[in-house]
Amino acid sequence: MEREIKFFKLVQETTFRHIEVSFNNLVRHFDRKDRIRLEAIDVYRLLYPYASIRFKEQLKAVIPLVLYLALFQIFFLRQTIEDSLTITLGIVAVIIGLMLFMEGLIKGLMPFGELLGNKLPQKSRLPTIMIITFLLGVGVTYAEPAIGALKTAGSNVNINKAPYLYFMLNQYGDILPIAVGIGVGAAALIGTLRFLKNWSLKMLIYITLIPTIGLTILSILNENLISTIGLAWDCGAVTTGPVTVPLVISLGIGVASASSRGSSSLSGFGIVTLASLFPIIAVLLFANGIYYFAPIDINNLANIAGQQVNSESSLLDKTPYLEILLGFRATVPLILFLLIVLRFVIKERLKNANYITYGIVLLILGMIIFNIGLTYGLSNLGNQSGGLVPAAFSRLDNIDNSPLYKYSIGVMIALLFAFCLGFGATLAEPALNSLGITVENLTNGVFKKSMLMYSVSFGVGLGIMLGILKITFDLPLHYLLIPLYAAGVLLTILSSEEYVNVAWDSAGVTTGPVTVPLVLAMGLGFGNALGVTEGFGILSLASICPIISVLAMGLIIKFIVSRKTSRDIENIKNNIVKETA
Amino acid sequence: MNKVREMITLKDVSLITCIVQKGVADDIVKAASEVGAQGATIFYARGTGIRERLGILGVAVDVEKEVLNIVVANEQVDLIFEKMFLAGKLDTPGMGFMYVTPLLKAATYIPQEILQKLSTEEC
Repeated sequence: MEREIKFFKLVQETTFRHIEVSFNNLVRHFDRKDRIRLEAIDVYRLLYPYASIRFKEQLKAVIPLVLYLALFQIFFLRQTIEDSLTITLGIVAVIIGLMLFMEGLIKGLMPFGELLGNKLPQKSRLPTIMIITFLLGVGVTYAEPAIGALKTAGSNVNINKAPYLYFMLNQYGDILPIAVGIGVGAAALIGTLRFLKNWSLKMLIYITLIPTIGLTILSILNENLISTIGLAWDCGAVTTGPVTVPLVISLGIGVASASSRGSSSLSGFGIVTLASLFPIIAVLLFANGIYYFAPIDINNLANIAGQQVNSESSLLDKTPYLEILLGFRATVPLILFLLIVLRFVIKERLKNANYITYGIVLLILGMIIFNIGLTYGLSNLGNQSGGLVPAAFSRLDNIDNSPLYKYSIGVMIALLFAFCLGFGATLAEPALNSLGITVENLTNGVFKKSMLMYSVSFGVGLGIMLGILKITFDLPLHYLLIPLYAAGVLLTILSSEEYVNVAWDSAGVTTGPVTVPLVLAMGLGFGNALGVTEGFGILSLASICPIISVLAMGLIIKFIVSRKTSRDIENIKNNIVKETA
Repeated sequence: MNKVREMITLKDVSLITCIVQKGVADDIVKAASEVGAQGATIFYARGTGIRERLGILGVAVDVEKEVLNIVVANEQVDLIFEKMFLAGKLDTPGMGFMYVTPLLKAATYIPQEILQKLSTEEC
C-alpha cells in the first residue's frame, strides 16, 4: 500500500510536538491573578534580548570614543596605556552603569515626568507650578550623571595656582552642584514662562547674555577669580544631559499645551539654551560670593590642603562607599521631591508602582556603577591621554625622547586629534540624530538632517580644537569666549527665530554623559602636563562653536533659497515676455 | 477604446496574524518569507496580556507591540505558522500570540505569465 507524507511533516514530527487544546477548557482553568511559573530557560529567553539591546546601545556610544583615544595614544604618541586593566574594567562599568541608568530613567523617572506634565497644570495655579518647576530644575541637576565628573576633576587642580577654583571644587564641592542646579531651575522656570507668554528666544538670549558677560568681565578684573571663569562656562555644558532635558521639557510642554498655547512647532526648544546659560551666571555669582563674603586665606593654603589630606582617611571617602553615597545623594532627593509633589499637590497615585520601584532601583544602581566607572575608566583614560598629547610638541619628563615631533607638526597633530575627537563623538551622539529629524521636519526639508549633524559636529570639533589651543598657549579663556559669543549674537540678530531656536539648543544636545567627563578629564590632564593654571574651558568653547556653525549654515541656506526663488521669478518673467513678444 | 479590466479573485487563502513585542517582527517576517510567504503588513499597537502576570520580570516585555499580517495559501498555512512560531520564540511566556483566520477571497495583481501557465496546466 502506497502512502504519501509531506517531508516537512516528517521533520516536524521528530522535532516538534503538536498538542491541540480547546480554548474553552483553557479559560476554565485560567485565573488572571495567577502567577506564571517560569523555568530558567524562559527567564533567560526573556531577559537576554531585553538586556542585550540596551547593552549594545551604550556599547555603540562608548567604544568608538575609547578606541579612538587608545589608538591615538598607541600609534601617534607611541605610548602604552597605563593601568589598562583598571581602565577596561572602568569602561565596562560605565557601559553597564549607563545601561541601567537609562533603563531606570525610562521606567522610573519618566512616568513621573509625564504625569507631572499632564496633571500639574490642571490641578495647580501658576505660582505653584513655577515653584515646582524651579525645584525640579535643581533636583534634576543633582541627578545628572556627568555632574560627578566635576568632583573628580577637582582633585586635579593645583591649589597654589588657582586657590578659588580649588576651593569651589573641593571644600565647596557639595555646594557647587546646588549653584548649578539653581541656574537650571531658573532656566526651567523662565523657559516654561516663555511657552506661556510666547516670548521670543532671541530677546531672552540677549537679556541673559548681558549679566553673563558682565559677571565674566567682573571676574576677569579680579585676579583671584579669573581662574574660575573656565569652570563657570563649562558648567553650562555639563547640565544639559539625559535627565534634565526630557524631564524639564516634558513639564514645560505639559504646561504649554494645557494653556492651549503649545501648538507652535517650536515648543520644547529654548529651555536647553537657557539651561546652559543660567548656570554660568549662578556659578560666577557663587565664585564672587565666596570672594566677598568668605574670602580664602591665601597665605594659609598649605595648612588647609594638609587638612584635606588628613580627613580623606574616613571610610566614606573610599571606593565603593563614596560612589554609593554619591549615587544615593544624586537620585534620592529628586525622587522624594517627585513623590511629595505627586502625593500632596497632584494627589494622584502612580499606576504600576512595582515597575516604577524597579526603575528607581535601576536608576540608583546605575548611578553608582557609572560613578565608579567614571573615576576609574573615563576620567582616568581622558586624563592620561590628555596628559600625553602635549608630548607631541613639548618636552615632558615622564616620556622618553619627547617632543616626539617638530614643534609645529606636533601642535598640528594635537589640534587635529582634538578636532577629530569632537567631530566623531558628536556625530555618534544619538540625541543629535533626533534633533536633526526634528529640524528637517520643522524647515520643510530645507535644512537637511545630515547638514545639521555635520555642522554641529564640525562646530564641536572646532570648539575642542580651540580649547586645546587655549591650553597649549595658556590663553585667557575670555579672549576666545567673548569674541565668539559676540559673533553668535551678531548671527542671532541676522537669523530668523526658528534657526535661533535650533542653533542655540544644538549646543546643549551635544554634550552627553560620556563626552563630558572624557573631555573634561582630557583638558585637565593636558593642562597639568603643560603646567598651566587650569584646563577648563574646552566644553564651553565646544558649546558656542556649534551655535555659530549652525546659525551660519542657516543663513547660507536662506541665501541660496532666496537667490533660487528670485532666479525662478526672473525666468518666469522672461518667459512671459517672450510669449507676449 | 477602453481596455477591458479584469480582477482575479484568489481562493483558498488564509491570514496569519501574529502579535509580538516591538522590534521582533522583522525576524519573523524573514523566517516566514524563507518558507514561501509573499509579503507582510506590520502595524504598531499596544496591548496587555501575560505581562501583568510575570511579576517583576514583566519589565522585560515591551508594552508596545507589532502586529504582523501575512496572507498565505491554505497549503502553506501549517508550515509558515510553525516557522513563525519558532522564529518569534512564542514558546516563551510573554513573547506573543498568533492565530490563523480563513479568508473568503482575496485579490491583487497577478502576473500574466503565471496566469497563462495556470490555464495551460488546467487544460
